Amino acid sequence: MQITVNGEAHDVDVEPEMPLLWVLRDELGITGPKYGCGIAQCGACTVHINGYAIRSCQLAIGDLKGREVTTIEGLGSPESLHIVQEAWIDNQVAQCGYCQSGQIMQAASFLATKPDPNDEDIDAAMSGNLCRCGTYPRIRAAVKAAAKKLQES
Amino acid sequence: MKNLHLPLIALTTALLVAAMAVADNKVEIKPPPEGSVTVEQGLQAWSRIYEVASHPRCANCHTGESDRPMWSGPSYGKTRVHGMNIRAGASRVGAEYLLCSTCHTTKSEDWQNANSVAHAAPRVAMNWALAPVEAHWFGRSTEQICEQLREPLTNGNRSMLEIAEHLNHDLILHWAWAPGGGREPAPYSLQEHVNDILTWGVADTPCPQD
Repeated sequence: MQITVNGEAHDVDVEPEMPLLWVLRDELGITGPKYGCGIAQCGACTVHINGYAIRSCQLAIGDLKGREVTTIEGLGSPESLHIVQEAWIDNQVAQCGYCQSGQIMQAASFLATKPDPNDEDIDAAMSGNLCRCGTYPRIRAAVKAAAKKLQES
Repeated sequence: MKNLHLPLIALTTALLVAAMAVADNKVEIKPPPEGSVTVEQGLQAWSRIYEVASHPRCANCHTGESDRPMWSGPSYGKTRVHGMNIRAGASRVGAEYLLCSTCHTTKSEDWQNANSVAHAAPRVAMNWALAPVEAHWFGRSTEQICEQLREPLTNGNRSMLEIAEHLNHDLILHWAWAPGGGREPAPYSLQEHVNDILTWGVADTPCPQD
């Protein structure tokens, strides 16, 4: 079957029940989305499907049905970072970094629908993304900073 | 000797037919004739309906004014709100915060083993959602749910026939009887529940407090 990831079409020969995360990492070598738990409990595998955050470990490739996939590799580029990525660097959010691509993809999707969130909104949107290093205060600060930049832009 | 196998064959056939019915999600909507159900039989049907409505597989997502789904029942241990600070918002699908479908992804209708992994987010062949505010069942009594369900203002303006159709068409409801992942299913079967709804309707929806 054919899937489009970060604007590029790929042909993959896999079972329709294979989770999207497996296809991305093992078939296409796109390793930004991380394997954390495999059961939608941690958020490390978060990608966008037509702009909405999805835990890629939970979506069977056969259920993608032609929708476009964006991973952290396609959110911005080194020359032109996404506003959320800039905010992450400005706030030096990452510690070990394993969960951060999922955190950033979740935050970018959330801010696209709610550009002016308060702390309660941020906590409700981001609590499904776990960080074992405990960078939560910096994650919240970065989301707020990104929201401010989005409003100014 | 041959005859000894007959009950086994009949049982095997019955189990196979039941399994196929679950797999096909087919429900027969055949109400009893008007006037054929006594009030007492209607109340017995209601009693079974309440067992279903108040079961965790149903009630956990019928939380009323609260936009927080619940985790309760034998497979969840202590009753508590859904982990991860989940809120469904006024949209009831989490659009204001985190869409339910972020984790409860939509699966194909013909994929039967989607929920076999314990603790994984359940998925069905439609968008996951919290029930409307007015359909408040969690922690409520048989009298309260009975009144809510027979009152058109709080049941989606549905007749009992339309509630049976709703049970047939809204595939998220079918999950309650095939939850997978070690979760306890709702009691009875989808077909038996639909039959009870129709029976209760023909009895003119009696409630225990009447």
